[in-house]
Parts: sequence; structure tokens; C-alpha cells
Amino acid sequence: MALTASELIQVTAQAEAEYPAECCGVLLVRSGTSGERLLVPCRNIQDELHASDPAKHPRDSRTAYFIDPKDLLAIGRREAQGYAVSVIYHSHIEAGAYFSPTDRKNALIDGEPTYPDAVYVVLSVVGKQVVDTRAFGWDPGARDFVSRSVAAS
Amino acid sequence: MSVQVYIPTPFRRATDNKDRVALDAPDVKSLLDELEQHYGGLKGLVRNERGEVHDHVNIYVNNEGIEALQGLGTELKDGDEVAIIPALAGGGGPR
Repeated sequence: MALTASELIQVTAQAEAEYPAECCGVLLVRSGTSGERLLVPCRNIQDELHASDPAKHPRDSRTAYFIDPKDLLAIGRREAQGYAVSVIYHSHIEAGAYFSPTDRKNALIDGEPTYPDAVYVVLSVVGKQVVDTRAFGWDPGARDFVSRSVAAS
Repeated sequence: MSVQVYIPTPFRRATDNKDRVALDAPDVKSLLDELEQHYGGLKGLVRNERGEVHDHVNIYVNNEGIEALQGLGTELKDGDEVAIIPALAGGGGPR
């Protein structure tokens, strides 16, 4: 399950509002029968990382995102309340909606997917407009991220 | 003295799916040593072979990142909550 039509509208609006920076966020879904969904737009702190240590963080927010650790802590607290990370989204600026080598590298820890059940949604923003949106998920058989449906089932 | 450690989803495969662990430790480094001793699978996930916390891992004591405190030497007291959170990052670039 990825994004409902309403969630996709919100994520698209965020991507266009934050242009020319990459936007980022997650969708949390509560386990159990309620299936409560919580869209959590996050702050991209890539510009701050780049400014503080350009050698270690050569990219700025036009080509990278790094979710504010404070947002991650808040997400972690939601996880403790029964929510799970269902979707992780971000935008690419003046570039396609593909799962980049950087996206793949950062979605793995020690060769294993950080969130094996999550769908990664990537939005392509060209000239301040979202022109394409694609989704990717971990395939244990292929041991790689493969194309998934953006729309919630 | 007991410190609560929050284990996020990506690391639970190394902690028998436990999301919280209670440990006794005087500081963050000792706590990580204890954790890795109890759960060998965490070795390498949180720290590198030199004992440094990976760049993509953030550690908080209560709500404060340890880099704003005393790093691995940050002292812990009874009732503190420690959270270990892997980064979420990525971005466009070469295909």
C-alpha cells in the first residue's frame, strides 16, 4: 500500500512548495483493524549539513535530502504507539522519478533493507511542477528495489 | 539504576523484535557495550570497528542528540531514555 489520492495531492503540494529543495517525509500506518494513517512531512536538513561540513556533505538540498533527526525521533515515538513506516517519500529536482544509487545505498544497513516493508515514493519536480511520481519497494527474491504502485490498494 | 533503550524497527531484527530494552549503564558508551553484549547482531549496525557511531545513526538521551551533549561519554541516570535512530536520507544524482 502506498499513497491515497488525497495523500498524493498533499505530497505533491509539499514537493512543489519546497522546490528547488528536495522535500521528504513519511506515511505512518497504525497496525490492527483501524489502519489509521498519518502523513508526516519532514524537514530536509541537507543544506545545514552541507554548510557545516561541505567535504563530508558535498550535496545541498537540490540533490539530496536528510530527514531532520528530530523528526525521526518523533516518528520513532509513533512507532512505539503501534504505527509503522509504510511510505518514505522525497523529490528529485530537475531529474526523473527514479530510485537513485544514493537512494538505494541509504535504504540499506549492512546490506539489508532498513525498512523492508516500506514503499519509497519518488517525485520528479521540473520547473516547480511535479511531472512524474514513482514507487519502489524491496524484493527479497531479487534482493533489490523494484517498481511498485504509487496508488494505495 | 535502569535506562530504557528504544530500539527502532530497522534494528529489531537484532534484538529478538524487542522495541525496548532496560539496561544499567553509567554512560552511553557503556550502554552500547552492554547492548552489543546482549544482542550480538547489533555489532556493526550502530558502531564501526573503531567503536565510533556510524554517521547514519543518531543517538538521543531523552530528547537531545548526544553530539550536543558529551557524545559517547554522556552520563546516564536512572529513568533516562535512550533512542537509537538510523538516518533517512537519499536524493537525486547520477543514474
